[in-house]
Amino acid sequence: MLPIMSLLKLEDVHVHVEQKEVVKGVNLKVERGEVHVLLGPNGSGKSTLLRAIMGLPGYGVTRGKILFEGRDLDSLKPYERARLGIALMHQNPKPISVKLQQVIEELCKRYGAPQDLVQKLGVNGLMDRELFKGFSGGEIKRVELALTILQKPKLAMLDEPDSGVDLGNLRLVGDAINSLANEGASILLVTHTGVIADYLNKVDFTHVIVDGRIVASGELNEMLNLIREKGYQAFMRWTS
Amino acid sequence: MSLAEELARGGAIFYVQRNYEIVRQVIAKSLIEKGVVLEPLSSAVKKGWVDKLLWTVLPAREIEPKGAFVYIPPYVKVQAPVSFCFTVDKGSQSVHNVLVIGEGSEVTVTSVCSSAGDGKEHKGYTEVFLGKRAKLDYVMVHSWAKDTRVEAELGVIVDSEAVMNELYVSLRSPYELRGNARFILRKKASLSASTIYLATLGRALLETGVTIESENSSAEVTSRVVAAKGSIVRQPILLEAKAPNTKGHVECKGLQLSHDSVIETIPSLRSAHGGAQLTHEAAIGKISEEELAYLTSKGFTEDEAVTLLVRGFLELGIKGLPESLKPQITSILDLLARAATG
Repeated sequence: MLPIMSLLKLEDVHVHVEQKEVVKGVNLKVERGEVHVLLGPNGSGKSTLLRAIMGLPGYGVTRGKILFEGRDLDSLKPYERARLGIALMHQNPKPISVKLQQVIEELCKRYGAPQDLVQKLGVNGLMDRELFKGFSGGEIKRVELALTILQKPKLAMLDEPDSGVDLGNLRLVGDAINSLANEGASILLVTHTGVIADYLNKVDFTHVIVDGRIVASGELNEMLNLIREKGYQAFMRWTS
Repeated sequence: MSLAEELARGGAIFYVQRNYEIVRQVIAKSLIEKGVVLEPLSSAVKKGWVDKLLWTVLPAREIEPKGAFVYIPPYVKVQAPVSFCFTVDKGSQSVHNVLVIGEGSEVTVTSVCSSAGDGKEHKGYTEVFLGKRAKLDYVMVHSWAKDTRVEAELGVIVDSEAVMNELYVSLRSPYELRGNARFILRKKASLSASTIYLATLGRALLETGVTIESENSSAEVTSRVVAAKGSIVRQPILLEAKAPNTKGHVECKGLQLSHDSVIETIPSLRSAHGGAQLTHEAAIGKISEEELAYLTSKGFTEDEAVTLLVRGFLELGIKGLPESLKPQITSILDLLARAATG
């Protein structure tokens, strides 16, 4: 009988950015259909971890392994990882000199997704605009989420989908993440405020990352309550 | 049914000239009935129709009047495009066209100029007289064999309250091109002029001059130049205002795809009246690593990402053209992006 592979498995992953170690030995398993929330203060290594999984330049894994469906991603370029089913919703992307319409058309062609899949995210009014140029915080998040959905990912990594988003847009963003999960995608969601958690239908595991290490894992509300009461300092002792 | 006849049934004008020979000259009956005229320019000269117009917008040249003359009477809306095609495949070709568009008329003109085989030289001069309250969408597409030398000039008078949207696209650059487009704007006139130039060879001089002569007029000049493979592109743009309550903006951007290419953009503003508002922006750069990283993270290979970025760069330089031309423009942009990165 073949062993059942985790969708994503991180084994003692260390990541350096500009010669500084930012992620310091992370172990994590994400199974199919699971929703994981990664909480942590600014600068704790959450975004760096997602970018390293995506294979972005400048985020080199210096030790450990990233396995996706049992396959070591080390030698794969970002586009190859994306084509395996990994999608990254970037936190604050810079303007891209292409109209949104064009990017959406190309993604639909590549992944065979129908364009109306993202109708609810209300991006139609932005189609003729240069991607992200002059977009509001909410517009950036809705568009990035739309592009992530069009990739029909097996694993959607969402980097701060709630930062800079007003209450009206938070509902939209939350609903879209729930739809992604309902479609069977696994979610690895990074947030430093935890605001988006109120809008999610389910969270299977919550992890707290401090100073490049996962220092606690457990139930969402338990973690959030501890952070709200005592701050991330409550977890600092785990890192020493 | 031939393409020309089909187009004619749709109510169009179709004119094809190979070297100095007129290959096709078709005008729909419905347009003739409305008083629209398509004639060889030589014939219009003989009939004395254009005496007062020839070489009034462009500097006079000593060439035979070999080209087309089109007249659209006042208040005629021509639905299908007026299409010109000029090609040179042997020796040299000189073309002189005159377009007169009457008051309140509306028309779209597409003009394709190309060379092949032994076509060594093309000289094209087009003078356009756009009447009061008239509207003209003008798309000019060039595609040249590498050994061709090209001189292309466009001169336009945009009369009061008239609107002109112009797009010049070069699909394949020749070894030498001298282009010059000049526009004169009268009262409350509006101009949007865009240049899309892909240089993969040779030298190009792309001059644009806009003179806003009268009040309450506006002009927007946009250009996108992509240079690769040792090509050199120089682009002086002068926007001049001589009247109050006028607005003008020049935006020129260059994208270098190779280290041995040269782009020089020279946007100039000249205001001869205190009530003018003129602005410009210019930038030259290469494909950004950050943009590439973003697109590859979405599943595009580096080559696909570059093609997408070049296409986007060019597309963002097109302004003002009607939705009806979108399919053609889309095809052109796809071709250009592939040619730039191929």
